[in-house]
Amino acid sequence: MKKSEERLTNILVKVLLIEPEDLSDDIRRKEYEEWDSMAHLLLVSEIENEFGVFFEDEEVIDMWTVGDVKAALQKKLAT
Amino acid sequence: MVTKMNSSEAVDNILESIKDEDSYLDLWSAYKRIQKLELGPSEDKKKAIRLALIGSSTLEPVAACLDIKTRLMGLKPKTFVGGFNTYRQEALDDSSSLYSHEPDLIVLAVDAASLLDDLFTANFVRMEEEERQEHLEKMVHDLVGVAEALKNNGSGLVIVNNFIVPEFTPLGIVDNKEKTGLRRFFREANRMLESTFRDESRMFVFDLDSATADYGKSRVVDWKTYYRGSVPFAAEFIPTLASEYARYASAFKGLTKKCIVLDLDNTLWGGVVGEEGMEGIKLGPTSPGIEYLEFQKSLMSLYNRGVILAVNSKNNWDDAMKPIREHPHQILREEHFAAFRINWQNKAQNFLELAEEINIGLDSMVFIDDNPHERAQVRQAVPDVMVVEMPDNPQLYRKTLENLKVFDVLSLTQEDMKRGEMYVGKRKRAELEEKTGSIEDFLRTLNLKVHVQQVDKFGKPRVVQLIGKTNQFNLTTRRYTDSEVESFRESDDSAVFSMAVKDKFGDEGIVGVAITKIEANDCIIDSFLMSCRVIGRSVETAFLSKIVSYARERDANRVIGEVIPTKKNAPARDFYERHGFEEVGTSPEGVTRWVLDLEKEDIPVPDWIQMVEE
Repeated sequence: MKKSEERLTNILVKVLLIEPEDLSDDIRRKEYEEWDSMAHLLLVSEIENEFGVFFEDEEVIDMWTVGDVKAALQKKLAT
Repeated sequence: MVTKMNSSEAVDNILESIKDEDSYLDLWSAYKRIQKLELGPSEDKKKAIRLALIGSSTLEPVAACLDIKTRLMGLKPKTFVGGFNTYRQEALDDSSSLYSHEPDLIVLAVDAASLLDDLFTANFVRMEEEERQEHLEKMVHDLVGVAEALKNNGSGLVIVNNFIVPEFTPLGIVDNKEKTGLRRFFREANRMLESTFRDESRMFVFDLDSATADYGKSRVVDWKTYYRGSVPFAAEFIPTLASEYARYASAFKGLTKKCIVLDLDNTLWGGVVGEEGMEGIKLGPTSPGIEYLEFQKSLMSLYNRGVILAVNSKNNWDDAMKPIREHPHQILREEHFAAFRINWQNKAQNFLELAEEINIGLDSMVFIDDNPHERAQVRQAVPDVMVVEMPDNPQLYRKTLENLKVFDVLSLTQEDMKRGEMYVGKRKRAELEEKTGSIEDFLRTLNLKVHVQQVDKFGKPRVVQLIGKTNQFNLTTRRYTDSEVESFRESDDSAVFSMAVKDKFGDEGIVGVAITKIEANDCIIDSFLMSCRVIGRSVETAFLSKIVSYARERDANRVIGEVIPTKKNAPARDFYERHGFEEVGTSPEGVTRWVLDLEKEDIPVPDWIQMVEE
């Protein structure tokens, strides 16, 4: 099984239409054109399906940056 | 700034990167990346298709997958997605952006919930039968109204989702003890939709209920995306659903496969007949052998539907024909195959010969062979042939065949159903031709009967089908939709003719179409085309003769024809020249114009053809 970091990157690059080398933690949802509400919905449910986790509505809303997404997932996987 | 050349390469690269993927994420991502390229509409008319999806939920996910699925078929779609629950305005307002998109195909995806009262299911149990019927009629009437508006305001196909019969009913196990239980309510609604649109050639009810049942009704919904974003379907189901819609696009653009080419050993029966003998092969009503029998039955059902069958096998002719002719359990006999290639040469070469003998394109052939090496060789050498990835286990053959779904047509005509027999007739005619001396003597022995008429509503679906798919004997290759044909039919100055042909070997049904326009004293032949099955029997001369008579009835002095050369219509190009027309000009694109002066010339019916009058 691939490392979880890699699996998450795979989802992020496909949803945000970005090359892996251009992916950085400070990409912000409100400033990044491709990260619209549809993409956000997709991102969250793909992560949920891939990792078998569930995000509460508040957690979904609080994912403002790529860094936030990574942190939210790490928190889920740690518990 | 992206140049045109680069953007089409970019699309190809994106498609190449996902061609073996079928996950929603990959398809969606490909769609988004292609959208960013901001392509103009495709100039390739044969490939271009304008798609639209409107309905009561968030449809972008399905639209994205449908767009990519049709691209993977080789089409160049432009896809319009309606707003969330704005389908009524989009459908009813004839100046909406939906109609300015000019869709060839519209999917109308409306959930029952958006047509019923909020508390419908909650209150259903307490409703009287009469009230249930009122709800039923109102729901169906509403949806039909929207669908009819889509039909009347546009000219494309309208695909209407039926209702999903719910798994949950508050009535539980006694649901069907009621006159109209909850499930019966939706089944009845679906029945009403089907009968409303049964005779509408441009409208189709998509059996969403069956599609969801096949996938698993409890698996098609993802409640998280359902509540968060009104996306009614789970990510895993969306590509499957899109593939089902893509079948309509495929049939609309004439990508339908026509012929299945079969291997024999370990494909139609178990074992190798050349080694084990007819008695040793596995084929019969018990296991082992029943899986091959069932596979043959499924092939037979497609043959009866009009799919042509042929054989491509490495074998000795006598060994291989013995079970086909004599095995007591063999379903597919010699008379079901349009052509045989049973020999030891490579199968790709056999494909080229089969395509020529049957007279169809390689791109309309499907290859079924248990041997992965043969498949790989054919795939590599004749890439236009669709090669089916057969499972190792023959018990899965039948299901694999039934899952192909590449034989769809928009209407099933009498001609389609009898196609198999017609190809056998063709083989027998060829045998007779070899025995008879001159071509005229041969034609005389056929007892040809030709019937030309202005097409009525029974013949129209077949005429539209021929206009859409005839490539070889087609003078102008102008493609017209059902509604365009209808307007030619309705206009006083234009006429649509069909030609039906039969001979002693069989009834070919409608095989020719011509469209004429009267302009002042000229009768202009806008379209003239004929199925390649009847080439070489001079029936085109009889057809032209009838058009000349019509032109005289309409007081025309001249008949004018055009020839627009294409890659495939070489067999038709000398048509006017052969019939005494004079060439009057060539355009820079190579379009030639031909004139027949009716005061000096006439086109007689060949004396071996009998014209059938109404």
